Amino acid sequence: MPSLQKAKNMLESLAQPRVEDTTVQVKVSDDARTQVVYEPEEPRRAIPFPRLKKKLKRDRHKRTKVSVFRYAYYDPAFKFFVEQVLDCDYLQLPKATKRTMDLGIQNSSDYVCTPFKHMMGDWIEALELGADILVQVGGPCRLGYYGEMQEQILRDMGYEFTMLNFSHGIEQGYFGWGKEVLKMVNPDIDIPYGVKQLLATGHMLSLLDQARDFYMANGGFECERGAFRHAWEDFLDAMRAATDKAEIDSAYARSMEEMRAIPLNKPANPVRIGIIGELYTAIDENSNLGLDEKLMDMGVEVYRTLNFSNRYTHYNEANLRRTISEYAQYDMGPTSTMTLAAAKKYAQLGFDGLIHAKCAGCTPEIDCIPVLRRISEDFHIPVLYLTYDTETSDTGLMTRLEAFYDMLYMKNVSDAGGVTVRSSGSLRR
Amino acid sequence: MADEVRVIGIPRGLLFYKYGVMWQTFFEELGFKVVLSPKTDRAVFEAGEAASVDEVCLASKVYMGHVVALLEGGECDAIFVPSYNSGDVRAGFCTKYQSLPDLVEATFHERAAKFITMRVQKANDHKSARLDFIELAHRLNASPKQALRAYKQAMRAQEAANSSRVSSQQETLRLLTKYRKVAASDPTGTEQAPLVILLVAHPYIAHDPYIAGDIVAAIEGMGATVIFADETDHATAFKRSFDFSDTLPWMINRELVGAILQTYDKIDGIVLLSAFPCGPDSMFDDAVMRNMHGVPILNLMIDAQSGSAGMETRIESFIDILRFQGKGRYLNA
Repeated sequence: MPSLQKAKNMLESLAQPRVEDTTVQVKVSDDARTQVVYEPEEPRRAIPFPRLKKKLKRDRHKRTKVSVFRYAYYDPAFKFFVEQVLDCDYLQLPKATKRTMDLGIQNSSDYVCTPFKHMMGDWIEALELGADILVQVGGPCRLGYYGEMQEQILRDMGYEFTMLNFSHGIEQGYFGWGKEVLKMVNPDIDIPYGVKQLLATGHMLSLLDQARDFYMANGGFECERGAFRHAWEDFLDAMRAATDKAEIDSAYARSMEEMRAIPLNKPANPVRIGIIGELYTAIDENSNLGLDEKLMDMGVEVYRTLNFSNRYTHYNEANLRRTISEYAQYDMGPTSTMTLAAAKKYAQLGFDGLIHAKCAGCTPEIDCIPVLRRISEDFHIPVLYLTYDTETSDTGLMTRLEAFYDMLYMKNVSDAGGVTVRSSGSLRR
Repeated sequence: MADEVRVIGIPRGLLFYKYGVMWQTFFEELGFKVVLSPKTDRAVFEAGEAASVDEVCLASKVYMGHVVALLEGGECDAIFVPSYNSGDVRAGFCTKYQSLPDLVEATFHERAAKFITMRVQKANDHKSARLDFIELAHRLNASPKQALRAYKQAMRAQEAANSSRVSSQQETLRLLTKYRKVAASDPTGTEQAPLVILLVAHPYIAHDPYIAGDIVAAIEGMGATVIFADETDHATAFKRSFDFSDTLPWMINRELVGAILQTYDKIDGIVLLSAFPCGPDSMFDDAVMRNMHGVPILNLMIDAQSGSAGMETRIESFIDILRFQGKGRYLNA
């Protein structure tokens, strides 16, 4: 039936004059083999998808203020990272106060580890000061969940902000973090330049740690009180002002020269103490109540292998664990290998004592304690275990440190044969 | 190493409640006799507390108690203490499990005890876990073929145990739904609707008679039905948990939160139970309390000192409130 209909239509169309005929107005015989067909010009249409210009990275954009939590003496490196890599403005936080801690305590879960509370306080203060973006790192313990939880708490409190959380993208490593940065902070980052400056950031972290090591080893023996502190602050300022690797290097060279020039009054055999412990509390002055400064004030040579560059920039866990193979067979936690390896190294070097500093509830470091006890027994080295909570009092800490120092000092001097502690009960030199 | 080992002891604590069937079958297939430590009681806990640092969590103290019990029982030649790695960023474990072998060895190094230790790199990755277990079997002088067979048997046994728990839980939920309909259609109104409580806790808390036994008994004594969050299908729950959180790093907590999401519309209340001071739960509980709306939650924290009276009071009032809500609150009270 449809074919019949088709044939009918064809017949009808033959009867009509053909379209071509009407337009050209020329009589065409039906049996002509070729025809010239004239097509009227179609109106020009706009091209539906105009060719896109190559997207340019803008070098001018709305400035956003980025804030990083307070962490020991690393703020020059954070500033460098924010300004040079993220290409944003850095919001420098003032020194933490009691209010910071109170804000942190009020808005955190009760028995979460202490750095969480410190960071909560930092975030609230940063947002009060006008921060747009907060930067949180990721990590292998509870730290990996800090970012999401803190973001949630701050949003519940009603704050508006963006959080750059390095727990996202961690599966893909640097590539994932790069994508995260481009997505969350600034799509216009010049990537080759950013990578170059990121390497410079790592370099700066190493230099900060090296300078700090020198400061801690010698700060307790300055002839003029406060000289080292002054030089150290100068060094941090110079680092804050640096904008590339060459400037970092020259600032470091200048400041180290300045620090080496400080006259020292160092005894031949000073009391040497190694600080070991958890990555945040053992380093951060604000949360360990100035542990290294306090020790330096007593005239102690302070050492601390644990720092950011030793943990991240150059860290080989498996090889580090070889040195403590009789104590730990497996990797025990984020900083455990470093804690134990440093403890054994200090013991072998004949240090007078160790201080193990950690925050309340730090599971990996608590699990190190039985192993540290073994090291302490095997090498006859005293260890002072300090657990910092938000309630830790400065005076209580001072008392414990003084008692520990007195004990080490007496042992040190009697080992050297200079002093005997006998029935008289007093020190005779 | 394994020449004189005939009997292997497994402490009944921590991940035993998650992988115990697997470990037991694995060693039995390799031809060892397996001894489990006795169930937790006050004596076990006190022995563990004496052997531990003060600050560790309750579950860790209990685990130490089980190790002491095995050491003192003298029935086994070696004690199996595995280390489960926390390194997997989305399916890791608390660092407690990671440090366990070295922690136990350091604590008991004065006793001439023998420990069989191993490292499981990625518990969720079967290929990787298989290699780890085969390596352990190799150290125990098993042939590769025997090792592979033992591993397969062990996995099968664990999966069978898990799925039987899952199916019995689903059966319970199905019956309860049915019963709820019956109670709702009862014209006299004398039939009381059933009350279903989801107990959200790490498996070694929820199923340990000493830690949570009183609490489960108290809930059931009030006439409510307890279902356990760790008895849902683990793989599905794990996938579901990404709806809740992108960066939650712990596998067990992911399975728990996935279970909440899966059973959400079938339960009347949640009891969120943690041992003091559990690291993961210190943040996880907060996250659940902030995000799970619509189902009443009771957050309980247990520590060593707690008598059961305080807990019972809180559970009683919680269940009273749930019953009260079920009746339509003040309007129909």
